[in-house]
Amino acid sequence: MTDEATATEKPSDNPILFVAKPMLTAARQFARSLVRPSTVVYPFERLEDPAFRKEVAVAPGKPIGVGAIWDNYRGVHALNINTCISCNLCAFSCPDLCIDMVNVPGGDPKHPKKCPQIDYGKCSYCGFCSDACPEGCLTMTTRYELSTPKRAEMIYSPTRLFEIYRTKLPMNPIRLERPENEDSILLEPPLCIGCNACSRDCPTNCITMVDVTKPEFKPGEKQPRRIWKEPVINDSDCVRCGTCISVCPKECLFWGTRK
Amino acid sequence: MGGATLFSVSDTLASVLLNGLGSIFPQPIHGWLTNPDLILGLAVLIFGAILLAASMINTIVLIWWERKLLGRFMDRRGAMHVGYAGLLQNFADGLKLFRKNTFRPRESDSLGFYAGPVAYMVTSLIIFGILPISSGWNSGALPLSLLLALAIFSFAPLFIFVSAWSSNNKYSLMGGMRSAAQMIAYEVPLLLAVVAVVVVSGSFDLATIVQEQQNYWFWGPLFLALVVFVAGMLAEMERIPFDLPEAEAELVEGWNTEYGGMLFAFFMLADYLRALVGSILVVLLFLGGWTMPGWVPSAATSFPLAGIVWFMVKTYAVFGLFVWIRASLPRVRTDQLLRIGWNRMIPLSLASVFLAAALVLVRCLPVFGCLPSPGV
Repeated sequence: MTDEATATEKPSDNPILFVAKPMLTAARQFARSLVRPSTVVYPFERLEDPAFRKEVAVAPGKPIGVGAIWDNYRGVHALNINTCISCNLCAFSCPDLCIDMVNVPGGDPKHPKKCPQIDYGKCSYCGFCSDACPEGCLTMTTRYELSTPKRAEMIYSPTRLFEIYRTKLPMNPIRLERPENEDSILLEPPLCIGCNACSRDCPTNCITMVDVTKPEFKPGEKQPRRIWKEPVINDSDCVRCGTCISVCPKECLFWGTRK
Repeated sequence: MGGATLFSVSDTLASVLLNGLGSIFPQPIHGWLTNPDLILGLAVLIFGAILLAASMINTIVLIWWERKLLGRFMDRRGAMHVGYAGLLQNFADGLKLFRKNTFRPRESDSLGFYAGPVAYMVTSLIIFGILPISSGWNSGALPLSLLLALAIFSFAPLFIFVSAWSSNNKYSLMGGMRSAAQMIAYEVPLLLAVVAVVVVSGSFDLATIVQEQQNYWFWGPLFLALVVFVAGMLAEMERIPFDLPEAEAELVEGWNTEYGGMLFAFFMLADYLRALVGSILVVLLFLGGWTMPGWVPSAATSFPLAGIVWFMVKTYAVFGLFVWIRASLPRVRTDQLLRIGWNRMIPLSLASVFLAAALVLVRCLPVFGCLPSPGV
């Protein structure tokens, strides 16, 4: 007889049974609880511990759960700094504006590498950043412990996110549905001054500056002040991060479909 | 020094003091200090302090014991972080209550509001001066100690009522009224159950009652009386299922609604002091007190504090029974309590008195054995 069965039974009219039955139920519960109470003593025990670990496949093709946490849980991010290309897409896609691109220590001091820093006070754990990440270096983990006495500690620097990456927690790269034909980056040649900013800032180095022929100018005619180069974008390497568009001083790069 | 039976522990203390003090101090002070009356007074004071400390510590540990047991009954763990297995949690809670400010409602009666908890606490403490814990720990071997203990024990509803009425709060007043009304239901069967024990043992002295149980404990032959006594004690201690005056859910803690800080701690402590006294009375009257069963090896029985340890083990086990009942049964209504008291418990207790009388006539039972030599 289960507990639920006894709990829903009508109390007995017999005074001895009226007292004895609930007491027996309580004693059974007591004996079971002596072995192992249902309480998880949380900071000292976790549902992820081997004692609670039970792997269950919900349905074919669906993820496998470990304990009470599923592998597709969207917890704290993990960032692989080494593969991050500083494309800014995570920060662009963030609906809460909680991602800032900040300098990471090391590397060239003149052109420092920028990686996402996440403010978990604002984050809504939507996973768009992980979805937008072209390199798969920003993923979400099953880590859920964020409480801290200081608000400033809610802001996780890239280094801290990299430490989480190195703990090898189950990673969950979020992949949302996206349209098939993505736009390419097009150039409006008359406006370009050949400044090299797009090529310099491109995270995947898919922009090469090629020489353009300098037109003949009559003597005395005013020449435009520019470098006679133009960017050529390799679409197969491009991750559509839009960095080049944002850095272009003349706004001559734009989204469009390549003919 | 007279009154050897009156203050046996105090007498021992007095002789220790007499020898100790006599050797330390020079003559004029020595002569004054070794005045037997002064020494006896000192010894009684010291023993009182020991009693106070022992009863308080036991009470607080008893709260821990209830919290741990109740936790397991509810599939929890109870207090577990402060001290070993949460043993110091209640000391910490007590300290917290001690530091808190106490407020008195503006329209309440000052005297009753402050005197009620103190009197409740003090009357609960006095009983410890009467209860024998072991053959050596018998501070007041009075010939009517059982009656005195029960009389002081039943003071409580008066003080509950005083403090409830002084609080000037309808819930408190209802709780206090219930406490006073509840007395009608349980006091008569409780005393009748005690009469059964008194008939068999032939004495009102708790120490004698325990000595009468050296061959067999009374709980077997007087099982009916035990049931009635435990039920009556539950009502007397106002514990679930008879906690009508407190009634957490409906009366917001009943008569201690308006109390906070140390005054609430007084009530809380006194509640558990009374629970401790109730458990001790059950052990004294029915479970043989400090007498050991025959199968216990003599090495264990000859240990100096064996009697007290054995007694406390039994006390905590009896309190565990109270916790078990608390975890299992729902609270009864006033009319149900009265019906239980008058329709069920009084006939049962009367039957147990007749059984006790028959037992005295027979004197020997097949399984249990014989009573010791005829009583007083």
